[in-house]
Amino acid sequence: MLANTSIPVFEQLFNELTKTLPGDVFAFLPELVLCGTVIALLLGRLLGTDRWIPGHWTALVGTLIAFGFSFNAALGGIELSSVEATAEISRSELFSGLLINDGMTIFFRLFLLLFLVLVIALTVLSGIPDNEDGPDFYTLLLGATIGMMLMVSANHLLILFLAVEMASVPSYVLVGFLKGRRASSEAALKYVVYGAGAAGVMLYGTSLVAGLLGTAEIDQIAGKLSELTLTGATLRTILLGVMMILVGLAFKLSLVPFHFWCPDAFEGAPAEVGGFLSVASKGAAFALLIRVAGQLAGPAAVPPEIPVPGLEGLAISLAIGLGLVGAASSTFGNLAAYSQTNIKRLLAYSTIAHAGYMLLGVSAMILARHAGDTDLARDCVSGVLFYLTVYLFMNLGAFAIVALVRNQIYSEEIADYKGLAKQAPLLCVAMAVCLFSLVGLPPLGGFVAKFFVLAPVWKAGDIHPAMWLLVGVALLNTVFSLFYYLRILVAMFIDDRPTGQPVAKPDSVDKLYVALVSIPILLLGASPLIGKLSQAAEDAARDLFL
Amino acid sequence: METPLAYYLFVGAVLFVSGIVCMATKRNGIAVLMGVELVLNGANVNFVAFAHYTPLGLDGQIVSLFVIVLAAAEAAVALAIALNFYNNHQTIDVDRGDKLRG
Repeated sequence: MLANTSIPVFEQLFNELTKTLPGDVFAFLPELVLCGTVIALLLGRLLGTDRWIPGHWTALVGTLIAFGFSFNAALGGIELSSVEATAEISRSELFSGLLINDGMTIFFRLFLLLFLVLVIALTVLSGIPDNEDGPDFYTLLLGATIGMMLMVSANHLLILFLAVEMASVPSYVLVGFLKGRRASSEAALKYVVYGAGAAGVMLYGTSLVAGLLGTAEIDQIAGKLSELTLTGATLRTILLGVMMILVGLAFKLSLVPFHFWCPDAFEGAPAEVGGFLSVASKGAAFALLIRVAGQLAGPAAVPPEIPVPGLEGLAISLAIGLGLVGAASSTFGNLAAYSQTNIKRLLAYSTIAHAGYMLLGVSAMILARHAGDTDLARDCVSGVLFYLTVYLFMNLGAFAIVALVRNQIYSEEIADYKGLAKQAPLLCVAMAVCLFSLVGLPPLGGFVAKFFVLAPVWKAGDIHPAMWLLVGVALLNTVFSLFYYLRILVAMFIDDRPTGQPVAKPDSVDKLYVALVSIPILLLGASPLIGKLSQAAEDAARDLFL
Repeated sequence: METPLAYYLFVGAVLFVSGIVCMATKRNGIAVLMGVELVLNGANVNFVAFAHYTPLGLDGQIVSLFVIVLAAAEAAVALAIALNFYNNHQTIDVDRGDKLRG
């Protein structure tokens, strides 16, 4: 009886799989190449070939191949969108709806792989890890990146959880990579304890949402939400589940009040790892947050004359709640950064503040989406994507300079940076570019990025006036943040170098790398590249809301 | 008569809350990790129960299988980090990690 019924089921499954699998695997090639590189690194370690072929070459070649594949996919996407009308959707589901392949996936894949190439190049220059530990380090780095690439393409609550964990677990180890150091082991323990707790809470929230809606596919959440009668216990359970999922994401984004781990982890970890986590992990978490939050805003097609009970309140309270968390994060991050003496810790607080600015974009996106203003919602998303891209260069630049200077003067205290400009002028000028861009001064990339994020938020003030207040808080924060960034620059440029301090003599390769990272910041502030990037960001956001 | 869904959810909620309390109050690093396991398994009970009672179907059971595997992997990494902390501090009391602050 059982056998008779199950054979057609398997046959159907088999037919279904063979029909779509080759195409799915092809679209998944960048991730598969990274997986292959990880295996090659581990095998190299096992067979001892890593003595002839250092781990960083294997990792670099693998990442470049993956970048080539995803660049190819991006070019295909652009051709498709220029031939077809703009309404054409280049969105496809992979592996029976577990993953999604749309403009945003392609954008973030390129973002993550470009960043990975830059980070590997930085680790080669700065000498962390040494040749002995290289294969291990790059295995973890690539493994975390695969997790992040899954995060940006997740379309199923299982993949959401798995991808977040795949990105987190290697990150815990990376933070504790210098295992002989007390600070490093302490940072790793704090990170793993908080991280595992946040992941557990997120999984419980996922179970509540999936059980109540009867589906685990993220792109069906909006539809199922509008079918439910959101009152009483149902509404409370959904709210609880959604808040728990957001706790997990807020932890990855190091938003107030889930930021405790961030300064400790960044101070204990090598600066290279801090740079990697601050950009890649945040970018991927923002992609995931945009996907989930876009669904929670409900289907845009709901006509206002038939309001779904409860959904109205859910979307608006979610938008305002996220906006307040964003404002609190940027305020707290900037206030706490003010009194720091360790530069990595200061930059950690600065990343908290920047996550706060970007979160305002997401909160305005929910509002606009809920009000049915799809164009404004897309503007919000493309603003966040633009910001993340500029943030990649300016934050990586700052962390790279910290790492390279550490190799020269063996210190990461701001007090030891005094008078560095006379010994390493290029590094200090590049640092000034990165920091002024982080403040958001024109004509640097950070200014344009802040404008692109905050302008749609200001426009969303027409829907709910709280957005105007949030933009005001963000602008005040920008002004305030100038002071603590300036403190580093004053130490570098104006103070005299005390006698007896180690002399910084950066190599020409170091200078080249730093210039390479900081030139895009200048270009993204005042050149036609702004238009190109914002076009790419808009293309990425276009498929998001149907 | 079939057991109602609420009973299973209650067990899941008790596991979840016990885990959270354990994470928040224990100072021993290993005990904190045990709390994490409780939280994950509370969610697992929910998933399996929902798989049986709601249209979620097999997805719920698949999720719980994946979570069991992932919990093992995470525990391995967390224990390695705890061991490294012990080697550097001669204790696994999480409160003794107080070098990084400010």
